[in-house]
Order: sequence, then C-alpha cells, then structure tokens
Amino acid sequence: MFLNNSFGQTLDIMQRSMDVSMLRQDVIADNIANADTPNFKRSTINFESQLNAALASENAPRPMQAAMTHERHISFSRPVDYRSVQPQRQLDYLTTADNNGNNVDIEVESMNFLNNQLLYSLMTNSVTQQFQRVNLVVRG
Amino acid sequence: MGMFTSINTAASGLTAQRLRQDVISNNIANATTTRTPDGGPFRRSRVILQPRVNQPYWKSPFTPNRLDNGVGQGVRVVEVQEDYDSDPRLVWDPEHPDAIKTGARAGYVEMPNVNIVNEMVDMISASRSYEANIAVVNGAKSMFQQAINIAR
Repeated sequence: MFLNNSFGQTLDIMQRSMDVSMLRQDVIADNIANADTPNFKRSTINFESQLNAALASENAPRPMQAAMTHERHISFSRPVDYRSVQPQRQLDYLTTADNNGNNVDIEVESMNFLNNQLLYSLMTNSVTQQFQRVNLVVRG
Repeated sequence: MGMFTSINTAASGLTAQRLRQDVISNNIANATTTRTPDGGPFRRSRVILQPRVNQPYWKSPFTPNRLDNGVGQGVRVVEVQEDYDSDPRLVWDPEHPDAIKTGARAGYVEMPNVNIVNEMVDMISASRSYEANIAVVNGAKSMFQQAINIAR
C-alpha cells in the first residue's frame, strides 16, 4: 500500500530486520541449548552487511551511464534490490573451544543474544514512533 | 518454524540439564553403594546428548540448500548410559560383607567408579547451562512482549 514512498520502505526494512532478529534468536537459543553436546558446532546469521550493500548499491553514484539503445543492452552498474536479500545461516565449523569438539562459548552467545534483543527493541520502538508520526499528521 | 521456536529450544535445554543434574545427584548419593541387583558395585551413569535436528556437518560455512534440515531445534537426551569404561575402586576392608573372598584381591571391597570431584564439576556445568537457558526464555518472552506492544 505504501511501498512506493519512503514511509513504506522504512516500514518494510524494519519488518525484515525484526524477522531476522527472530530467526537469529532461534539460532542463538539452539547454540545455548547445545552448549554441552559433544561435536556440536555453532551457527550464526548473516544479514545486515548484505542488506547494507544492497541499499548502498541503490544510491551509489553512477559516473558513467551506458548508452542503452537496445533492449538487451546491459547497464554498467546493476543495483541489488534489498527485497531479494535473504538471511543466511553460517556454520562455524573451523574452531573448537572445548575438548569434546564443541565450540559454543556461553559468554559470546549471551552477548549476541542481548545485542539481538536490544536491536529488536529498537525496531519495535521505531515502528511505533513511525505510526505515531502518521497519527500526528492525520489528527493535525 | 513456529512463533515460539526459541522458547521450545531453550525448554529442551532445560530438560536436558535438569536430567543431567538428576543423574549426577544419583551418582553422588550412590558413591559408596557396593550391592546392586545386577551384582557388583554401583556404576556411575552419564547422559548422552545429541542435537535435535540431526544435521550432517559439511566442511563449509554454508550447507547446500537441498540438504539443509533447517534451524536447530535444541538438544535431545539419547540415553543415560552406565559407565563400564573405568574399573571399580578397590578399598581394603576384609570385614565388609561384600569383600572379595578368594583370589589375589581377597579382602578388598569393590567401590563404585564415582569420582566426587568430577561429579561436582559436572554439577556446576549443568547448573550454569540451566541458567543460560533460563536467560534465553526470559529474553524471548520480553521480545514477544515488545512485538505485542507495537500495536498499542
């Protein structure tokens, strides 16, 4: 409905970010639950850097424009649509922190969990404020 | 993937750590038990854990999509296994009713292979893991609360 303006885009990005927070929370909960399982390897979620790269590619300056006179010509820079960015699960298979082959560090996982929780809190607050601003405009 | 996956995952961790605690307390309580229904001294038990989603590990950070079993769902207790790998402790006590009567080891009593120090260390490990899982449940709860508060 609002997808064509910056309001809708902001909401969309925040919603995606919250989805990824939930997914990341599941992964961290799994890491912590398996903190004592022999040969378990921890996983992480990789999303923000790719979202950043996609958003930067949309606003990147284009010093040279390709002269596209045919429909099958290819432009010099191709912006990546941020909506095509999917969160990726990454397995940390190279390290070992315990002598049973496990590499879950409870302190690191707890910190990541806290970071994730605060990020989620920030996102929910931002969404609420976004709608409050609309309310302000509508009511005058 | 359901809405409360992370809480269920943490709950599986809580169950497993609680069971570990139970098994450790049983080991400590039976640290000097010399007579069992199976004969011989008590054997210490140990808890075997396994990830709930059995994902073969690839030597790569990214699992191929078609072989990916999804996000892990926590931990599962496979079995509680009696430890026959270490021998019983021998204590010299000829008057004990369970003392060995004949042979080279006559006069010795077979005591359980429970090492109190190891059990204590395991107990602390289990209780810390339990606390970590509790923290996850609380964090997940507050996140759901915040999601509900968006609409207010």
